Amino acid sequence: MDFFVGGVARGLHLLVGFDPEVYAIAWLSLRVSLAAVALAALAAVPLGLLIGQNEFPGKRLLVVVFNTLLALPTVVVGLVVYGLLSHRGPLGGLELLYTPSAMVLAQAVLAFPLITALVLAAVTTLDSRVAPTALTLGATRFQAAWAVLSEARFAVLAALAAGFGRVITEVGAAIMVGGNIRHYTRTFTTAIALETSKGDFAQGMALGIFLLVLALAVNLAIHHLQMRWR
Amino acid sequence: MAEPLFSLRGVVKRFQGQEALNIERLDFAVGQTTAVEGPNGAGKTTLLQILALLLAPDQGRLFYAGQEVTHAGVHLTTLRREITLVAQQAYLFDASVLRNVAYGLRLRGVGRAERGQRAEAALTQVGLASFGPRRARRLSGGEMQRVALARALVLRPRSLLLDEPFANLDAESSAVFERVIAGLPAQGCTVILVSHAREQAHRLAQRVVALERGRLVT
Repeated sequence: MDFFVGGVARGLHLLVGFDPEVYAIAWLSLRVSLAAVALAALAAVPLGLLIGQNEFPGKRLLVVVFNTLLALPTVVVGLVVYGLLSHRGPLGGLELLYTPSAMVLAQAVLAFPLITALVLAAVTTLDSRVAPTALTLGATRFQAAWAVLSEARFAVLAALAAGFGRVITEVGAAIMVGGNIRHYTRTFTTAIALETSKGDFAQGMALGIFLLVLALAVNLAIHHLQMRWR
Repeated sequence: MAEPLFSLRGVVKRFQGQEALNIERLDFAVGQTTAVEGPNGAGKTTLLQILALLLAPDQGRLFYAGQEVTHAGVHLTTLRREITLVAQQAYLFDASVLRNVAYGLRLRGVGRAERGQRAEAALTQVGLASFGPRRARRLSGGEMQRVALARALVLRPRSLLLDEPFANLDAESSAVFERVIAGLPAQGCTVILVSHAREQAHRLAQRVVALERGRLVT
């Protein structure tokens, strides 16, 4: 029990004490995860919209594929991205392995099916009159698609929030392609894994609390946006 | 007959192999109001959607102002910006009434000040002068239809297509629709309305066209 009490106390101490190393870890975690969500969203949002708004042969199968990819293990993603970025891999020449960029890439791969599936679901359940209404009022195809996204904005933001939640909490891919290098690629989750393996449970706990506070702050920001757009 | 705005020649539309519309020849004159009658499933809404360029015919040719619409070569958005459809249960965006009415103007790049003025004028025209800041989704059914009408009128379309404009309307909204539609031909607007409200449709239309099982009844 002392573990927990000590962990919570240290967590709060780290939070209010502005420990530079912990804040650097927090900043890197936030940066990597936000960049990964942004990168994934660039492809996932238009794709979810495209699949959701159109009928074509094989659509159901594609939806099943994306729903299956929701269960994609993070270590598998880590393994594939590691294979791509390693010296012998097709992208080895970019020398991205064990850099924050590699972590962004891996986490983007992880967030991509989740955001796609959630945007697809949001767009599919949206009123089917949105796009025709926009078109009859003079919208181009692109403007009509934007109207659909705009009408589904709460669900799209929720999809981005879910994507962020998925990547900021994952450890497998980040540790495999990032390498958990101190002051460079160490994020909250990789640091927690390290502290726990070292037996410093309280420190791990403290970092976990800090991670939750960070996730809460990001979700509060998203919630604020949703309320503003209401 | 004056120069037609729309001309249909051998237009056929099928849904899942079932013929929904088959029109050998039909013209709609510029500035004329035409009522399209027929029982449910006669193909009236399909006809309106083809005229609104939302649906492409499977067969046949559609001409707009003398120009053939092929859905492939012609830039549809340019043509659609002259034609506006008000659906039977119009969809209003999850935004304010003013934003809904100004939507089409924004798409056309009309400046903010002019957008506001024109939207307010259109709302006044449909008897909803002070409704601009309200949430569109919180209005009554009749008020929502009037907002949809204002959203179409503000664009000053060459052609206004109305799908069952009098269905489920309260007396006040119905009177507004009738007054507005009656004034459109004088502005050169070609009105095509599909309606079960026979009396109102006949009062407004210079011409009545009947459809049955997708075909014209003469």
